[in-house]
Amino acid sequence: MKFKAFLTDNGINLLEKRILPALDKMGRVCHLYLTRDHAFFLHNLLSVDGVHSVAQFSKESLFHDYRISSNNDDRIAFSVDLSLLHRALRSVLAVRDSNSNALLIKLVKKLPPNSTQATPFLTFEARGHRSAVVQDVPVSKPLSRADVHELHLAVESCEQLPATLVMAPELSSLHSFVDGMKHVGDVMGVSVSKYGDLHLQISTSLIALGAEFRKLKVLGERADPVAEDNGLSAKTRVERGVQRGDAMSVQVSVKHFFKSLQCSLAKPDCAFFGIAPQGACLMVFFQFFVPGTRVTDKSFSLHCKLPVLDTGSS
Amino acid sequence: MSSAAAVDTEADLVCELDSVRGIVDALCSVRWKRFQDALVELSEHGIVIIVEETGCLQAKVYLQRELFIKYDYAATGRPRFGVSLGLFIDCLNTFSVHGRSNVLELRYPGPDMQLMLRSVDSPDACIYAEIRTIIPETISWDYNFEPAGSTPLSFTVKSAALKEAIDDLEWPGSSIQISLQPAPPSVIFRGEGHGDLQIDFNYYANTDLLIAFSCDRQVSHRYKYKFLRATTSNIPASVLKDNRGSKATIGRGGMLKIQHLVSVAKPSVPHPHIDSAGYQQPSRIAYIEFFVKPEVEESNADDD
Repeated sequence: MKFKAFLTDNGINLLEKRILPALDKMGRVCHLYLTRDHAFFLHNLLSVDGVHSVAQFSKESLFHDYRISSNNDDRIAFSVDLSLLHRALRSVLAVRDSNSNALLIKLVKKLPPNSTQATPFLTFEARGHRSAVVQDVPVSKPLSRADVHELHLAVESCEQLPATLVMAPELSSLHSFVDGMKHVGDVMGVSVSKYGDLHLQISTSLIALGAEFRKLKVLGERADPVAEDNGLSAKTRVERGVQRGDAMSVQVSVKHFFKSLQCSLAKPDCAFFGIAPQGACLMVFFQFFVPGTRVTDKSFSLHCKLPVLDTGSS
Repeated sequence: MSSAAAVDTEADLVCELDSVRGIVDALCSVRWKRFQDALVELSEHGIVIIVEETGCLQAKVYLQRELFIKYDYAATGRPRFGVSLGLFIDCLNTFSVHGRSNVLELRYPGPDMQLMLRSVDSPDACIYAEIRTIIPETISWDYNFEPAGSTPLSFTVKSAALKEAIDDLEWPGSSIQISLQPAPPSVIFRGEGHGDLQIDFNYYANTDLLIAFSCDRQVSHRYKYKFLRATTSNIPASVLKDNRGSKATIGRGGMLKIQHLVSVAKPSVPHPHIDSAGYQQPSRIAYIEFFVKPEVEESNADDD
C-alpha cells in the first residue's frame, strides 16, 4: 500500500484557505479516501447519524506526480484529524521556500517514540531555504476492504438526486439567520418548491420563526407559481404546494443545517438546496466557478446530505 | 402575511422600526437572567417593557413612538401582555443579523393573540415570527417613586464608571451601602462582607466622572448586591462607547432609581450631536429605568 504525491500551489491554496477550514467545522475527524483518479474527504459516510459531507477532488486539482497503489484496486482510505492536518500543512508552508515548489505528501509507517509497533502517518515534507521540515500527522490504520467498499458505495449512492434544486439566497446572511434560529429551537422544517421557493421554519409551543425566500433560481423540475397563492401566509403556501405535488417538506436538525452552511467557508460561488425523492434527505450542493468565469469548476465538488428527522407524520 | 386586510383593521398596534440592533441592546440591558417573563404595555405614546424580580427590583424599557418609522395605534385602553423576554430578544436577533438595513414590522395581536413580527424590506425574502403571548399574571406592582424631599437626591455618573464600581464591589459581596453627602459633595459606595471595599466619587475631584450632583443632606441606604449588579451587568457596549451618563436618584424610603440612555440610532447614520453627557437626538434614545428597593434597615435616622 503506497501513496505519494506532490501538492500543487493551487491544491495548497484550496486546502489551506478554503477546504480544510470548512470541513473542520463539519467534524474534526473525517475519512480521506484516495483512488487512482480522485481524492475524497468524507464525513459520517459510515454512520447513520450526522451530516454526510462529500468533498471530491480530481487528482490534478490538488496534486502532481500522483502515485497510488494498493492490492484493493488502488484504493486507500483512512481517517484523519482535520485540525491536525490543517495545522501541519500551515506549519510546513511557514517554513517552505516558495521557490522550491516541492511539497511532498505521503503515507508512511513509523515507529513512534516509546512504542514497538509502527503506526501510519500522513507526512508532509518540504525544503526551506536552509532547512527541511517534516510534519507527521497520525492517521488511522487503513480501512478494511469491506469498509472501503462501503465508503465507495456511499459515495456512489449520491445518484439519488433531488428532482428540483433551488439556488440558496446569499449564504452569509442565511448563515447568520440560521445562527440566530439555533437559539429558538432544535428542529427546522425545510420546504423546497418547483416555483423556486425555499421555506425554513422552526415551530415550538412558544414561537414560530421562519424565513421564506421566493423566486429563486430553479434547476431541474420547475412549475409556474399559482397566482392565488400570493396573498397567503408562507406556511399555507407551502401546504398547498405539497398538496399539488409541487413542493416537498422535511424536518432536519437546526444544528445540522447550520453545519452544512459552514461550508461557505470554502467560498463557494453559490449553493443549491433540494430534497431527495420520498423525502429521504435534504441535500445541499455547493457550486464553484472557475475563477473569473461563470463556468462550473468540475475538478472539485462539495455537497452535504442532512438526515431527515422522523416526526412520526406522513 | 396572513389575510392581511382582515387583520389590519383589528390590530391594536402595527409599527415598523429600522434599527432592530438598538432595540435588542435596550432589551438586553434588562435581561439579568436566562428565563424572565416581561410585561409589555402598549399605548399611544409607545411601548413599555417591564421586568420584575421578587418585588425588590423592577426594570422598565421605554420605546417611545418616535423610535418607530411607523406607529399605528388603534386600541382603547392600554393593552398588556406577557412574553418571554429571552425568546423575544433571540427572535429579534435573527432579524437584526439578516445583513444590510432591515425594516421590521411588529403587530399585535395576531389571530391567536400572538405578537407578530416580519421583515418588510424585501418582497421575495421574508423573515417572520409569531411569539405566543401569555396573560400577565397580576397587574404589575407599580413602584411609587416619589422624591425624598424638596431637593432631589441624585447624581449622574459615567455609565462605564458606575458599571466598573459595581463590578468591583462584587468582592466584598452581599450588601452595598450607598451614601450621598453634601459636604464635600460626594457619593460613597461601601461593601462589607468577606472584606471591606469603599469607592468614593468626589464631585469636585473629578467632574468628568461625576457629571451632576444634587444633595442637601446626608443620606445612606443599603441595597442587595445582586440587584445593584443587575442594573449595570448587561448595559450595552454602545452606551459605554458613546461615553454616556447614568442617573441615580434616591427617593422616599430609600428607593433607588437608576436611568440609562440607550441609542437606537441606525448604525449607518452617524450622529453629529454627541457631547460628553452622551446627548443624542432624543428621538433615537430608548430610556431604561431600574428601581431597587433598599434592604430593610434597623437604623436610618437621616431619612423620613
